[in-house]
Amino acid sequence: MSRIIVITSGKGGVGKTTVTANLGMAIARLGRRVALVDADFGLRNLDLLLGLENRVVYTAVDVLAGQCRLEQALVKDKRQEGVVLLPAAQSRTKEVVSPDQMKKLVGALAEKYEYVVIDSPAGIEMGFQNAIAAAKEALIVTTPEIAAVRDADRVVGLLEAQGIKRIHLIVNRLKPAMVQADQMMSVQDVQEILAIPLIGVIPDDERVIVSSNRGEPLVLAEHVSLPGIAVNNIARRLQGENIPFLDLMAEHDNLLNRIRRLFRS
Amino acid sequence: MTSDSAQQLEISTVPQNDLAVDCHLQVRLKTEGERLLLILPPEAAMPGAASWFDLWQQLKHRLNAGERFWQANSTVHLMAQDRLLDGQKLQAIADALLEVQLQLQRVYTTRRQTAVAAAAAGYSVEQQPPTYSLNQTPSEPAQLLAEPLYLQITVRSGIEIRHPGTIVILGDLNPGGEVVAAGDIFVWGRLRGVAHAGADGNRNCRIMALQMEPTQLRIADAVARAPETPPSQFYPEVAYVTPGGIRIARATDFSKTHLLLNS
Repeated sequence: MSRIIVITSGKGGVGKTTVTANLGMAIARLGRRVALVDADFGLRNLDLLLGLENRVVYTAVDVLAGQCRLEQALVKDKRQEGVVLLPAAQSRTKEVVSPDQMKKLVGALAEKYEYVVIDSPAGIEMGFQNAIAAAKEALIVTTPEIAAVRDADRVVGLLEAQGIKRIHLIVNRLKPAMVQADQMMSVQDVQEILAIPLIGVIPDDERVIVSSNRGEPLVLAEHVSLPGIAVNNIARRLQGENIPFLDLMAEHDNLLNRIRRLFRS
Repeated sequence: MTSDSAQQLEISTVPQNDLAVDCHLQVRLKTEGERLLLILPPEAAMPGAASWFDLWQQLKHRLNAGERFWQANSTVHLMAQDRLLDGQKLQAIADALLEVQLQLQRVYTTRRQTAVAAAAAGYSVEQQPPTYSLNQTPSEPAQLLAEPLYLQITVRSGIEIRHPGTIVILGDLNPGGEVVAAGDIFVWGRLRGVAHAGADGNRNCRIMALQMEPTQLRIADAVARAPETPPSQFYPEVAYVTPGGIRIARATDFSKTHLLLNS
């Protein structure tokens, strides 16, 4: 049975697409065959982050219109074997695809690939409904911010109503120093509200922006950075491995910071 | 909300008719003998925006939240009232029920088209004259409260639960979520969203939570916000109305001062 996972958040700009791109690569590095589906019709980005923009010929809309076969639209990644991307159409809007059509596309992909990872658009409208229509499980991406967590909570409610019960949480862009100074929600704070199991915490890092701009996923780097390791761990936990969480706080819990905290309180 | 046994919350009183909330506007599940009644709100009560999609979502949440209480393979009678349901929608309802091992058996409706669709799908159908209603109509004053609604659920942002009786939530009421009851509200968890007890105007209703950090509390026509600075420690607390507005007391103290004296 292949696994169909939607990556969603409710709020925009929390890192859904970045997580999708890197997680897809990370799963493929574990030797699985992965299809990444960009469900953000009209605002497609996944191809950019993967560095595959210039190789997109056909899109999902062309497949649905019968203008090409599904295989023709799939973009293979030369750097990492086992990953293909089904790009969204950039020129259309989210209304061109229906949940039923999405199910058909994803169903066809699920026959050939072990993992189908769907990058959902922000919001809870048609585009979101399309993205979750075929999904069997979901990864919720949120940043430790009150608005992002509120929207994530709403989305979890919608997923539960949709019958998607296997939902895991990814906390993205955590700044351990700020958490320690009590200026940012901690992972525990986020979990307390959302009440879903945690599958990964990705620290805030400038290298993520650099890798996005270059179209080179972090996990493919020669020396994998801390956020890259975090994503690799998520991929392994998805497979059922029991990997301890990175101790992001340790580095910031030095003597100087302790003294600072003492004086602040 | 720590040391004092009762504490004044910030209060403002809103005109009654703004707050009088109709609690009948949601999907209801009611046990009657050995069968379960699934009562849909009448079309007129949920106009326009409150679409089939909302209705279906309410149903799914209710079924997920009460799953433990129904015997497997119980039969369900659908009170569709004046709802227009086609074959597809009936199938969606039947599928949702089947997921928690409930069998849709009979459909009551006042609409001919719904009756035809239900008959075509193989359910027994009873078409009622349009005036006949199992519910009290919203205009009629609710004399008796409905049986309590017990839900094992996290009331998440965007979920709204209304019930013409007391509501018991086993789980958290998250910010952005709302619970509106004609009777009392118990939250066996953290209350962080909006709770409105006594929504028909009964000021004797109470709101109880293991951890009271509400966005807003309402009892009948009184409204209160939580203090700006959250308390350092939480206790189970009770919110109730006094002539001065909504107050909150520690549950242990409340039972001493209010419940025992009254008895």
